[in-house]
Amino acid sequence: MKALVPALLAAALLVVGCGPTSDGTKTASGTGAPTAGKKFKVYLLPKQKGVPYFTSCAEGAEDAAKELGDIELTYDGPTDGKPEAAAEMIEKWVLKGADVIAVSCNDPQVLGPVLKKARDQGVKVITWDADASQDSRELFVNQATPQQIGYGLVDAMAKDLGGAEPTGQVAIVTARLTAANQNEWMVHMKERLKKYPKMQLVDVKPSNEDQKLAFEVSRDLMKAYPDLKGIFGISSVAFPGAAEAVKQAGKSGKVLVTGLATPNDMRSYVKDGTVKSVLLWNTKDLGFLTIEVAEAVAKGALKPNAPYFMSHRGEKKMQGDNVLLGDPIVFTKDNIDQFNF
Amino acid sequence: MKKLPARELGVGLVLFVLVLAVQLANPAFLRPENVRDLLIQCAPFAIMACGMTFVIILGEIDISVGSMAGLLAAALGTWASPSHGGRPLLDCVFGVLFLGLALGLVNGLLVVFARVPSIVATLGMLTVLRGVTELVLHGEWVTDLPPFIRQLGIGVSGGVPNPVLVALLVVAVSITLASLTPWGRRVYAIGSNPEAAKVRGLPVKQVKLAAFALMGLLTGVAVLVSAPQLSVVESGYGTGWELFVVTCVVVGGVSITGGRGSLWGVLLGVALLSIIRTALIFLRLGDQASYWERAIQGVLILTAVLGDRVSARRRAEVGA
Repeated sequence: MKALVPALLAAALLVVGCGPTSDGTKTASGTGAPTAGKKFKVYLLPKQKGVPYFTSCAEGAEDAAKELGDIELTYDGPTDGKPEAAAEMIEKWVLKGADVIAVSCNDPQVLGPVLKKARDQGVKVITWDADASQDSRELFVNQATPQQIGYGLVDAMAKDLGGAEPTGQVAIVTARLTAANQNEWMVHMKERLKKYPKMQLVDVKPSNEDQKLAFEVSRDLMKAYPDLKGIFGISSVAFPGAAEAVKQAGKSGKVLVTGLATPNDMRSYVKDGTVKSVLLWNTKDLGFLTIEVAEAVAKGALKPNAPYFMSHRGEKKMQGDNVLLGDPIVFTKDNIDQFNF
Repeated sequence: MKKLPARELGVGLVLFVLVLAVQLANPAFLRPENVRDLLIQCAPFAIMACGMTFVIILGEIDISVGSMAGLLAAALGTWASPSHGGRPLLDCVFGVLFLGLALGLVNGLLVVFARVPSIVATLGMLTVLRGVTELVLHGEWVTDLPPFIRQLGIGVSGGVPNPVLVALLVVAVSITLASLTPWGRRVYAIGSNPEAAKVRGLPVKQVKLAAFALMGLLTGVAVLVSAPQLSVVESGYGTGWELFVVTCVVVGGVSITGGRGSLWGVLLGVALLSIIRTALIFLRLGDQASYWERAIQGVLILTAVLGDRVSARRRAEVGA
């Protein structure tokens, strides 16, 4: 029995060692021989491969790998988004001699132990897009803090309503009443609303991740509050549902809708004027920054609690062990066509 | 002289008081355009509740309908969308109806011939069908339902919105089925006393199989008028509908153990449960009210049902 274990391990190593090029992963800068200097093997894991959002993050990451020159980047992840599959990949990468593994963590419960094990074996682990538990990674590349999102949403609505003192009733259509992310954003939204005393929050409705429900409650809100001026759709399902309700009610431009979504999901509503502002971070920049941080961590040049991180794209704030990407960007009809994700 | 049963009275009364209260608080509630939207909102659930009524009166239950609706919507979306199947209207409509019928038959066969208790069989189907839906859509949305499909959900025929028209038709046929056909009488007979029904030589298996098939077919009808109300189909479509429909039926006075209940009561149940959410928005209770919503829903349901229980006890006491 005991002799079996090493034998199996050896077999596993052989299997893994045999197929590094047969798994269809992309390598950005080839397998350049380490003549000019050591190349760092960086593995970038999205929650789910093949999703436009992450594909566009990966484009930014590849740009960074090219620009930095000392990165051998591999972007791969489970196409079904299963955390168990992600865990297997991470274990495989550790065996392949990864220097840095950057993880968008789909499930801290499943991936946490795997990441800790990787760190024990000398691999540097950072997270990006979605964090894991603090002890399973060194740094988190944080695309937006709840405060940035909450304030950003309210500011965007205020700007869309216009005037020196934005005025009118607004309502929020959220995901579920129990959704942790959304609830945190709402705390900051309510805080920011104090800056605009004439913007009055009249209702918060859950949409339970159901676009039809988001559509129906938005429609009801418009009828129950005839003076309603704005709806925040703060999940990727609530936002298009609310926009569709406004559009079907023929109130495009009269009731403004804003929220968080990818530009592609909202493009048609932005074009027809139902939605003036769509908030999201620049996904390419997120991928770019992640690779920069990965390089710095590999070199041992960046530790938690540094005051800031010097990126090729300017100075990035640090908050403890979080590297902050910066304020979310606002997509409007003027710039939305520059973004395809 | 047939008296209106206490349950229907209770539900009707609560519905009436709720509507009146909301109307007094916000006169926009009974404006024609809102009444129209409310009817559209009720339509798919009225359609499915008709099917569920027969199943529950037979002493069975079908809790797979939420996932079934999800799969049928995904099928409709992928068949109709120009970027996927791009098939014509009739293909899509009959495809969804046949698929619904077939899935209902599978439920029926599991219950009638494999003798799996219906709550277990359809619970299994609830999981399986949601899984298949995710497989079909791969986590992506179908976002381009073509206009001719959208018409099923947002179009108007003779001044009546299509979903409402279809629901009225289904309700009329169901009421006829229940009260004027031998099949309807058999459903009640089997539900109130399955043993006696067998002894009398009633085709218990066939009747049950037909009820499950009808449930599947009607789920297809409901999806056809409901999914096209939006241009998007997502893999979570229909989640939770099974519970909603069963609640409507039971609140409407159908005995969960079978044998008793009427479609009129069920329609009142559908109306009450569909209206509550909208009513609470129109009451303008502020941004904290959402946290109370479920509790208020529960209290209204209990109030509606309680009258029935009290009167049932009284009936028992006088030995009626």
